Amino acid sequence: MTAQVPVAVRARDVLASEWTKFRSVRSTYWTLLVAVVTPIGLSALVAVTLANVPGRGAPADPLLPGVLSQEYAVLAVGVLGVLMFSAEFSTGLIRTTFTAVPRRRAVLAAKAAVLGAITLVAGELVAFVSFALVQAVLSGKHLGVSLARPGVPGAVLATGLILFVVATMGLGLGAIVRHTAGGIAALVGLIILPAILALLPAPWGARVGRFTLFDAARQVTALHPATNLFAPAWSLLVLLAWPALTLLAAALAITRRDA
Amino acid sequence: MIEVDQLVKRFGAVTAVDGLTFTVRPGHVTGFLGPNGAGKTTTMRVILGLDAPTAGTTRINQQGYAELIRPLHQVGALLDATALHPGRTAEAHLTSLAQSNGISRHRVAEMLQLTGLEGVAKRRVRGFSLGMKQRLGIAAALLGDPPVLMFDEPVNGLDTEGIAWIRQFFKALAADGRTVLVSSHLMSEMAQTADRLIIIGRGRLIADTTTAQLIESSTRKDVLVRSPRAAELAGLMTARGAAVSREDDGALAVTGLDAPAIGDLAAEKGIAVHALIPRTASLEDAYLDLTGESVDFRAASPSPGPEVPEHPEGVPAR
Repeated sequence: MTAQVPVAVRARDVLASEWTKFRSVRSTYWTLLVAVVTPIGLSALVAVTLANVPGRGAPADPLLPGVLSQEYAVLAVGVLGVLMFSAEFSTGLIRTTFTAVPRRRAVLAAKAAVLGAITLVAGELVAFVSFALVQAVLSGKHLGVSLARPGVPGAVLATGLILFVVATMGLGLGAIVRHTAGGIAALVGLIILPAILALLPAPWGARVGRFTLFDAARQVTALHPATNLFAPAWSLLVLLAWPALTLLAAALAITRRDA
Repeated sequence: MIEVDQLVKRFGAVTAVDGLTFTVRPGHVTGFLGPNGAGKTTTMRVILGLDAPTAGTTRINQQGYAELIRPLHQVGALLDATALHPGRTAEAHLTSLAQSNGISRHRVAEMLQLTGLEGVAKRRVRGFSLGMKQRLGIAAALLGDPPVLMFDEPVNGLDTEGIAWIRQFFKALAADGRTVLVSSHLMSEMAQTADRLIIIGRGRLIADTTTAQLIESSTRKDVLVRSPRAAELAGLMTARGAAVSREDDGALAVTGLDAPAIGDLAAEKGIAVHALIPRTASLEDAYLDLTGESVDFRAASPSPGPEVPEHPEGVPAR
């Protein structure tokens, strides 16, 4: 009777189910609100500070405020990602989920698709709104750049990727660690890793650092990329490899372990 | 139909299920009994594809769980009623489950009504009582109208009204021709609910029988007789081949003659009888006889993990 259900229909079913779960808990709305409002507000603030640095001619990268502020918002979406699995594991709901959908990787894929789509849209929205705000502030001091300038659209688009990258990484960590607190701790560890590695003695800080999430993120979002890190194209690959590898590990973890 | 064949499940050095084989057939409520820690929940989790078996197989309607497409149409299960996201409404919980198996929203509304939850459908389950969560779990299990149903300790935490409701419910499901497996550590509960019994201890099968057979085969079965001429009646009964023993209060415990025969004999001899009570061992006694060994072993070398007292409060009145 049900043996003839095509794979595409089953995929749509699981997607619809995960979408319902996603939008039926309050934590989704709180974390997304924090992830959108904080960076927009913060980027304007950083821009004002930057515009009012006394003396000094050439300012820092005019795209930096937009990037810096997203780096604070990542915690919110990272937690959202962790919770999508850890909340199910800690309550035991995951057993109901896996009983309804025994193909566990389909559950992971559906969660990643829902979270990925929402955080990608939110991230790009934040990136472009922040950009407009920051440049409006900076242009008062003739420090701003135009979106028409070569390299700028790509950098702003890349800025919008950061939320997506960290959110899906959080999702994978939630599936691997299974506990909310542990998952968040692991996520924070990965996020602050560049700051720790920066303390390594001279060429090693950059040699190791270029593989970290945020050095890669800075590199793809900068108007003038650093020369001691990977080129932006490679850095983009590093940036996307983090969530890809985490999700791969999560797929192994949820299929091999008892639920 | 549920088939378990030579199932073994080890967790490290601990063997939770040890070569278990049984079949659960449609049309009956089958009780899955055993002391706490006997391996009931583990067995159910393996059947549902949640835990991988160390050895052996389990099948539902001739299929392994992983082969089932849209499994909620084949099996409905309630393992832990509290396994819910506290911030989600009852309706959203059921809707997400229904969508994952292509079940209509109309069916969700139907199940909410059937379990009496339509009034609280839009409320977050955080505020639900355990009884309400049990009902929500049952609604979830029935979403796909499955021919096989499994419930793990469904009576725990229910009030008297809830217990009566759930018993009727299981019986109705079985009368419908469905396969219904209900686990419990309380024999007294199963005596009221199940007509077939699978009893396990320490991960092994102890008995696969009917409730009636278990009572029949239980060791004590006699007739209690009270009479003002007890000694005389005892002599007459002994002459007819009965074994008679005297209870502390002067009543007679008779085996070898049934109550009608004793009554007829007394009437024939003009002996007044004040009480004539056929007694069977309670199922609880029969159950303890069967599982005694496995419980004794566990008590002698306690294993880590949560223990529930053997006779917790709130044992349903018989």
